[in-house]
Amino acid sequence: MHATLTRRLAAAALAVATVITTGCASSGSSSSSSADGVVRLKFWGDWSGEGEQQFRTMTAAFNKTHPNIQVEYVVQEDMLTKFLTASTSGQAPDVMFWDRWRTASYAPKNVLEPLDERLKKDNIPTDRFYGEAVRELTHDGKLYGLPLTVDARALFYNKAHLKAAGVEPPKTWAELEQAAVKLTKREGGKLVRAGLSMDDAGLFSMYLAQAGGQMVTDDCSRTAFNSPQGLQTLDLWSRMIKAGVYQSGFEKGLGEGTDAFATGKVSMILTGPWNITTYKKYGKDLDFGIVPPPSGPQGGNASLMGGFGLVIPRAAKQKDAAWEFAKWWTAEKDNAMLWAKTSLNIPGNVQASEDPFFSGDPFWKPILDTLKTAKTRPACAGYAPMEEEAVIPNLQLFLEGKADAQKALTQAQQQGDRVLKDNNLN
Amino acid sequence: MTRTLAGPPAVGRASPGHAKQRRSRMSRHQARAGVLFATPPMVLFLIFTVLPVAGALGLSFTSYDVFTPPQWTGLQNYARLLEDATFFTTLKNILLYCAMFVPVMIAASLLLAVALNSRLPAMSVFRTIYYIPVVTSPVAAATVWTWMLNSHYGPINEILGFFGIPGPAWVGDSSTAMVSIVLVTLWQGVGSNMLIYLAGLQNIPTHLYEAAALDGAGRWATFAHVTWPQLRLTTLFVTTLSLIGAFQLFDQAYVMTKGGPGNSTLTPVYQIYETAFNRLQMGYASAQAFTLFLIIVAVTVINMRINRSDET
Repeated sequence: MHATLTRRLAAAALAVATVITTGCASSGSSSSSSADGVVRLKFWGDWSGEGEQQFRTMTAAFNKTHPNIQVEYVVQEDMLTKFLTASTSGQAPDVMFWDRWRTASYAPKNVLEPLDERLKKDNIPTDRFYGEAVRELTHDGKLYGLPLTVDARALFYNKAHLKAAGVEPPKTWAELEQAAVKLTKREGGKLVRAGLSMDDAGLFSMYLAQAGGQMVTDDCSRTAFNSPQGLQTLDLWSRMIKAGVYQSGFEKGLGEGTDAFATGKVSMILTGPWNITTYKKYGKDLDFGIVPPPSGPQGGNASLMGGFGLVIPRAAKQKDAAWEFAKWWTAEKDNAMLWAKTSLNIPGNVQASEDPFFSGDPFWKPILDTLKTAKTRPACAGYAPMEEEAVIPNLQLFLEGKADAQKALTQAQQQGDRVLKDNNLN
Repeated sequence: MTRTLAGPPAVGRASPGHAKQRRSRMSRHQARAGVLFATPPMVLFLIFTVLPVAGALGLSFTSYDVFTPPQWTGLQNYARLLEDATFFTTLKNILLYCAMFVPVMIAASLLLAVALNSRLPAMSVFRTIYYIPVVTSPVAAATVWTWMLNSHYGPINEILGFFGIPGPAWVGDSSTAMVSIVLVTLWQGVGSNMLIYLAGLQNIPTHLYEAAALDGAGRWATFAHVTWPQLRLTTLFVTTLSLIGAFQLFDQAYVMTKGGPGNSTLTPVYQIYETAFNRLQMGYASAQAFTLFLIIVAVTVINMRINRSDET
C-alpha cells in the first residue's frame, strides 16, 4: 500500500546520510567533456512514450547542427525526486524540462541557474517570449528558465449539442449559464448529460479572475478570494447547480477513452489545448469547437495559463553548452516552430506562435486569443498548497451542497491564510 | 592396575565429555551458520531501515529542503503540527477508515477462510480467485474501481439501479468517498488474510471438533467455542497487521480521490508525501511521519492489550 512512499522517504533519508558521511570528499571529479572535445549533455524530462519521441526529434536536430555538443534525452519518470537526490550527490543534469509553476518553490533554494547575464550577452530580449511565462520563471527579479510551451484553458463545446439546443457558443457568464441549463439533459430526474462540466473546483481561480477578483494579495501574504467577486463566482455556480446542470461525481473515473466530453456526456468544458489531440483521437463522432472563456459580469476576460520551460540546474557541469541548447530550442524561431509542430504545443516564443500553423487553425486560433488575457498562477511557494488544502476542499463541499457560499469562502480563507503562511518561503 | 582400574571409568567419563564437546562444537557450528544467515538481512535492515529512520528522527527537529543543509529548529516542527488543522483532519479520516476497515476485514477474511476450508477440489480455484486481487497492482486496480464506481455510468450503480436502488456518488461525494476506499482496499487485501486464517484453521486439532461433536455442539456452537478461540492468535496477528497497514493508507486515496472531496479522504501518509516531495519540507514531513509512527505504536499496543485480556 505504501511501498512507494517508504522507498522514497528512505531514498531521501539515504541521500541525507550520504551527504553527511561523504560530505565534501566528493568534489566534482567526472567531467562530461570527453577527450575528443565533444561536450555531452544530459537533458532530463518526465515525458515518455510520444513525448519522448518528440524530445528526441529535437535533440537529434540539435546534435546534427552542433557537432561539438551532443545532447542525450533521459526519461526520469520521477524527475523531481531524482533531481533532489542527484543534486545532493552532484549528479545533476545539464538541462531540465520544467513545469514552470514550480519555479516559485525551487528558485529560492538556489538550485537553478539565473540566466539574465547570458540573455544580455547574446542579445536576446525577454519580450521574445510570452510575458506571463517569463514572469512565472522569474523570482526576485532574476530569470531562471526559458519558456518552451504555453497553454491556456478555453471553452470547448460540442457543436452538435449546441446546434440541437439552438444556442450559440457563450461569450459571457450570463450566456454560459443559459446555455448550460439548456444543454443539460435529465431522464427521470437522473442526469444523463451535463450542460457544463463542473468537476474541477480548482477552476474557481479562473472564474474569479473573470469577475475581477484575486486569489491572493499582490505580496502573496494573505488570501483575497473571500470577496464580492468570490461570492459572484459561487453564486453563478450555485445557480447552475440548482438548475440541475451538474452533480458531483458525474465524471469520476472517466479517463481518456471514456472522457465525458469525448463521449458526449458533457456539452461544454473549460479545458486546455492538451486535450485537442485526445478529443480528435477518442471522439471519432465528436464535432467540437473552441471559444475563449466567457467574460465575467463586469466584462473581464481571463484564463489560467500554464506550460513548460527549460531550466539549467546550478549544479550542471556544462552550463555554457546547456545554455546553447536551451537558447537554440526556445529563442530561435525556426526551432521553436519545429518543436511546436512536432509536439502540437504553442511555443513560448511569441513570433513562432504567430505562425499560420496555429493562427490559421480553427482549434488553435481561439487558444491563441485566450492566451492574450491568460494569467499564470501567483508566484509564491505557498500558493499551490493553499489551493489544494484550503480552497478546493471547501469548494467541493459547496458544490455538494454541504456548505453555503459565504461559509465555504470564509472557511477557505481561514485555512488558506494559515497554509500560505506555513508554506511561503520568506 | 591403577591404569586398568582407572581405564574403564575414564572411558566412561570421557564418553559424555566427548558428547558434550561434540554437541558444543555442533552448536558453535550452528550458531556460526545462524549468524551467517542472519547477517545479510540484519545488515540490510540496519542500513536501509534503522539508519534512515534514525536520520528521519533527527530531521524532524530541523528545517530541511534537501538542497541546503538541515538547520536545527528544535521542537518547532512539532509545535507547527499541533496547530495544523489539516493534519488533524487526516488523523480523523484515518481513524474513521480503520474503524470501518479492520472489523470488516477480520469478518470477511474469516468468513471466506471458513467457507473455503474444505478439501473439495474446486476450493483451490476459489482460493485463487480471492487471492488474485492481492497480486494486482493497487494503482491499476484503483483506477478501474474509480470507473466502476462512477455515479452515473459505472457498472456498480447500473447494477444497483437494476434492482431499483439509487446508487450513491461513491468517490464523488464526501460522505461516501471513504466508504468506497474501504471497499476497494478490502477487495484488495482480503485474500492474504484469508490465507492466514486458512493456515490457522488447518492447525486446529481435529480431536477438538470430535469432542465438540460428541458433546452435541451444533455448527454455531462449534465455531464459537472451538474455532474462534483456537484462532485467537491468528486474529491478533491479522488485526495487528491490518491496523498497521490501514494507518498507512496512501495509494487508493491518491489514485481514487486525491484526498477529496472536501479533504474527506486525505490521509496522514498522503499529507506526508505532499509535504515532503511537493513542498520540499523534509523536516516537517519527518515530524509528521514520527507522530504517525507513535500513534501506530500506541494503537498496536492497545490492540495487543485488548486481545490479551480476552484470554482471561
